[in-house]
Amino acid sequence: MNSHLPIPAVVAAIRPLAVDTSLLTLHTEPGHPVASSFLPGQFLQLSLPGVGEIPLSYCGVPSRDGSIELCIRHVGHVTTPLKSAAPGDAVGVRGPFGHGFPLSAYAGQDLLLIAGGLGIAPLRSLLLTLLKQRELWGRLTLLYGARETGALMFLDELLEFQRRGVIELQLTVDRPGYCINGPPECRVALLPALLEQLALEPGRTCAAICGPPVVYPLLVSRLRLLGVADDRIHLSLERRMKCGVGLCGHCAVGTRLCCVDGPVFSFAELAGIEGALV
Amino acid sequence: MATLFIAQHNLEAMLERLRRKAEVHGPVRGEDGVVRFAELIHGILPDLSAIRTLLPPKKYLLHPRETILKYTSEAGYQLPSESVPPLILFGLHPCDLAGINYLDRIFLGEDPDPLYAARRSALTLIGVSCTPDEFCSCHLYPSPLKALSDLFLNSVKGGFAISSGSPRGEELLEVLKDIVEERDINVPEDTRRFFGHAVSAQVRPELDATLPEWQELADACLGCGACSLCCPTCSCFDVLEFGGLDGRSAVRVRQWDNCLFKCHAEVAGGMSFRKNRAERFRYRYRHKYRGFGPLQGIPACVGCGRCRVVCPAGLDLRPLAARLEEITP
Repeated sequence: MNSHLPIPAVVAAIRPLAVDTSLLTLHTEPGHPVASSFLPGQFLQLSLPGVGEIPLSYCGVPSRDGSIELCIRHVGHVTTPLKSAAPGDAVGVRGPFGHGFPLSAYAGQDLLLIAGGLGIAPLRSLLLTLLKQRELWGRLTLLYGARETGALMFLDELLEFQRRGVIELQLTVDRPGYCINGPPECRVALLPALLEQLALEPGRTCAAICGPPVVYPLLVSRLRLLGVADDRIHLSLERRMKCGVGLCGHCAVGTRLCCVDGPVFSFAELAGIEGALV
Repeated sequence: MATLFIAQHNLEAMLERLRRKAEVHGPVRGEDGVVRFAELIHGILPDLSAIRTLLPPKKYLLHPRETILKYTSEAGYQLPSESVPPLILFGLHPCDLAGINYLDRIFLGEDPDPLYAARRSALTLIGVSCTPDEFCSCHLYPSPLKALSDLFLNSVKGGFAISSGSPRGEELLEVLKDIVEERDINVPEDTRRFFGHAVSAQVRPELDATLPEWQELADACLGCGACSLCCPTCSCFDVLEFGGLDGRSAVRVRQWDNCLFKCHAEVAGGMSFRKNRAERFRYRYRHKYRGFGPLQGIPACVGCGRCRVVCPAGLDLRPLAARLEEITP
């Protein structure tokens, strides 16, 4: 595999998830590692010819048929033109890159997934992976917050998992918004508020977090108050990884590189590093 | 001790023989007074008395702006297929050799960069000894980087003691044998001795952001980025893509970037992880003295002094580094 060269992929489907966000399904060479062997939390580089390349977390699970699911918020110079992507459009992909969530350390543990906004993308990948072998883990809880009810994504899927009793789900929105039919039992509060009344066993709980950087310090301090140890808290960090392979020098966190050493780090690795979280 | 010797007056003959093998570049003082690496065509001798060139030899390995991928709708993305002709760099000081050693460690690591690897293998390095000036710091802060060259010329009375450091160097000596002679001379130690030292694996505490020096540096810095441009080990690059007017092709380029620029740490939505200049200074400091990723613990500064020479505000990170890294000169 040449990790510097994007391989061809085509848009297989694009489906709106929220007003500014879509689920992009790509199809590439079956069996290529970029689609078939990644861990939740790892990322790929998506190229839009003539426009540019961006790092994106995987949103789905590894596939044998070459399909890749990505959650795209149409706000940047590459993601905005992707809004008008249509099935058959050519793109390029390379990856997988970095380190994902430590699945082997999760065996037998209660897992607390905390997603803020677009942070649901890698955590959906993690959740779907965990549910493939549900019996290996203890409690699975997803705390998911978005700015308004219309911005909560994958709701049908998540509510179905909740109905089947395989996960515990708590939803919150920053403000009610204009959507009348919000999901049942959705709170109006900031994401860290969901941790206030959460009962958990800190000694057997691991937290996996992805969300806007601004919310990380508060989430981490709440989890520490609940007694969760630093090495049981894993966060996916946001950085602009331009090359993905440790060369371009943009994504260092302290002296570690987000693209090769991360983007998922335990808080124990990050504690004391200036600018690691925000 | 018997040493291979080449007389000063044979330098032109040496270059002539090298030119038969490949294009030869070395330090040349231009009409503008600037010393830069440029082609040593017939009749032009390198300025071996110059302490440093404006830009380091990294410009041959990482062009300031270069195409890294080409796209056509028929073939998808392809690596550029340019042929890389052999090139001999003549007159590299040990710090610049160590700078190339640092770039090698980044770009020829586990997953070598194709463009860099092609250029590097086409490059023959001929070093020359030097005498540090007041801007140099190779002699103050010994480096773990190695000053490796194919040939090395050590200045002695009337010429140079010449030694080979690689099979490619041996081949060149073969080409030069009619102008190289064995002599019994005492070869003085050269500045290569400041390189290739083991570093202590000591874990240093995270940088103290409250030290007033950071803000003092930031207040004086103009943010021009000259220090990174002229640094032999600064290799941050930005990646840009340009679509062709035919709508069916594109090129992707990388160009030198700079961690003192505000945009360096920007992420989606305009948020930045290094909002103020003092934070950006610490980023630069961490890279220069502590290393990133696989090169953690390997200081990147080779002591060439270029950043001090070019800084319009006269800034110098070395006194701070001496204190924080507890380097004893």
